[in-house]
Amino acid sequence: MTKGTRFVLIGAVVVVMGALATGLVAFYNGSLVLGSSSQPGEFSYLPSTSTAVAYADVRAIMSSEFRKKLRQVLPTGTEQEKLKAEIGVDIEKDIDSVVAAMSGSDPEQGGVVLIRGRFNDQTIESAAVRHGAKAESYKGKKLLLMAEHHGEMGAIRDGGKPATPCLAFLERGLIALGDSASVKRAIDTGAGGESITKNADLMKLVNEIRGTGNAWAVGRMDSFTNHPLPGAVKDQLSAVQFMAASVKINGGVSGLVRAETRDDQSAEQLRDIVRGALAAGKLMSGKDARVDAMLNSFQLAGSGKTVSIAFTVPPEVFDILNGVAAFRGLK
Amino acid sequence: MAAPAKAPGFAYAALRVFDISIGEMLWSRRTIFMLLVVGLPVFGALCFRAVLAIGGPTMVERMHVTGPAIFGLMIWAAFVRFSVPVLGVFYGTALIADEVEDKTITYLFTRPIPRGAVLVGKYLAYLACTLCVVLPSIVLVWLLVVPVGGSLGANFPDLVTDLALIAVGLAVYGAVFALIGCTLKRPLLFGLVFIFGWETIVLAIPGYLKRFSVAYYVQGLVPHAMPSDSAVSLLQGVMREIPSLPECFFWMTVIEVACLWLAVRAVSRKEYVLEQ
Repeated sequence: MTKGTRFVLIGAVVVVMGALATGLVAFYNGSLVLGSSSQPGEFSYLPSTSTAVAYADVRAIMSSEFRKKLRQVLPTGTEQEKLKAEIGVDIEKDIDSVVAAMSGSDPEQGGVVLIRGRFNDQTIESAAVRHGAKAESYKGKKLLLMAEHHGEMGAIRDGGKPATPCLAFLERGLIALGDSASVKRAIDTGAGGESITKNADLMKLVNEIRGTGNAWAVGRMDSFTNHPLPGAVKDQLSAVQFMAASVKINGGVSGLVRAETRDDQSAEQLRDIVRGALAAGKLMSGKDARVDAMLNSFQLAGSGKTVSIAFTVPPEVFDILNGVAAFRGLK
Repeated sequence: MAAPAKAPGFAYAALRVFDISIGEMLWSRRTIFMLLVVGLPVFGALCFRAVLAIGGPTMVERMHVTGPAIFGLMIWAAFVRFSVPVLGVFYGTALIADEVEDKTITYLFTRPIPRGAVLVGKYLAYLACTLCVVLPSIVLVWLLVVPVGGSLGANFPDLVTDLALIAVGLAVYGAVFALIGCTLKRPLLFGLVFIFGWETIVLAIPGYLKRFSVAYYVQGLVPHAMPSDSAVSLLQGVMREIPSLPECFFWMTVIEVACLWLAVRAVSRKEYVLEQ
């Protein structure tokens, strides 16, 4: 064997072994992210026991072409104006991002929403007090506790005690909404408790999905299987361990839905179901080129225990909706 | 008078042939073709990263795609469906056919080594040569593409599976085409018909015929979802039956061992008549 041949062979082995070593380190380290790894600051307030987390870059969504098209379709609401007059917050301009997390299976029992933006704390506080809120201090943060209520869905905690809606000013430009226990737990977490970043399973998916869109959600599905759901849905859900979805909203909407199943076989079954659904959709779409284009944009992917579907809703679809809205006199 | 030197054993002879053939194979014109075949996915991955680096869109046909999904598609389209069978056919059929064509087989067969060892040595050289070009190409694509919207750690098990299945695929295709190269007169033509005709058709039609292809077992090991990028692949996806992992490994081992044994037998018994 010549020196050159030996050099090529050793070089190839070094490249492969180097990549395998990198992958192995990344695998045991949780995740070796090559690229942007900055996490939203709000994560430090979300407890490690969170079972689902969602994020929306409200500013990007509000300034998108999609939003402009949607505004043409939907009637303008007076609620937005009322909110602006009441607490001085313009949803379209003053809110930057929203992060929501829940610890149980029911958002009303252990959910917290963190809103980052530009707020006038005094205006919000006086408006809340006017509506019967009680100001309180918890670990140096101001809480506004609303009058106790049972909620629209009768949200009552396990102990029979009704949930108390609460608003807290966590830091300048960051407010928390949720029931008082959840908001206090967020404050505890922010003060040095174990945050969601320590939840390796959830963070693995969060790190993978958050670069793919300006709104995303990740959650454990097994916490939902206790809910009264139809048998078929429950069967499918029981095979899914984690679910992640992200949407990129710009001119149109493109998205990615990803499921992590318990085993490879469940993933393959799920892929088969999606393939079947797409095929049925294509059969039923008739000859409408736009619907056909939309269905063609659905791309099934994934490997091992992962099933993912990417899709695109082109801007033309919103033009159709716009036309329908105009026809029905909604505009 | 000194006793005649003892003829080397089969394994030693095969290793000696491997040692000579690896250099010949690596520095041949065929390697340029192989570099082109496996270099294209790397070039594609580099272009992808360059587009991202200059702030280009991360959309493909207005669809947002992640690095792991692109890597999965590349493994299917560039390696499993194309590079592995094509390299197998070009190298495998040439193991003995090239020596016959160049009329150098006489020199090899007059050596005091078993004829079968020549084929086994050349087969091992083919395997080393293709693996040391294809596997680095896969890991480079993986390192370039997967971090875009994905993580190396989470996708590491898939990389290991991909490397293993590509290695097994090259070994099995190599053995099949080595047999074709030893027994048939126009092996390259038969090889191309096998991979682009027979395998494509049997995978797209329902029934048991797909079991008589290598692709059926290789594709059964791919951890990524099968792409539906053309009418044929869509049909293959619908008709796809996925054999279990033990079944894949069992049948691929059977195919590899049987083809290699038959090829060794054919080389040992066949009289090669060189055209004048």
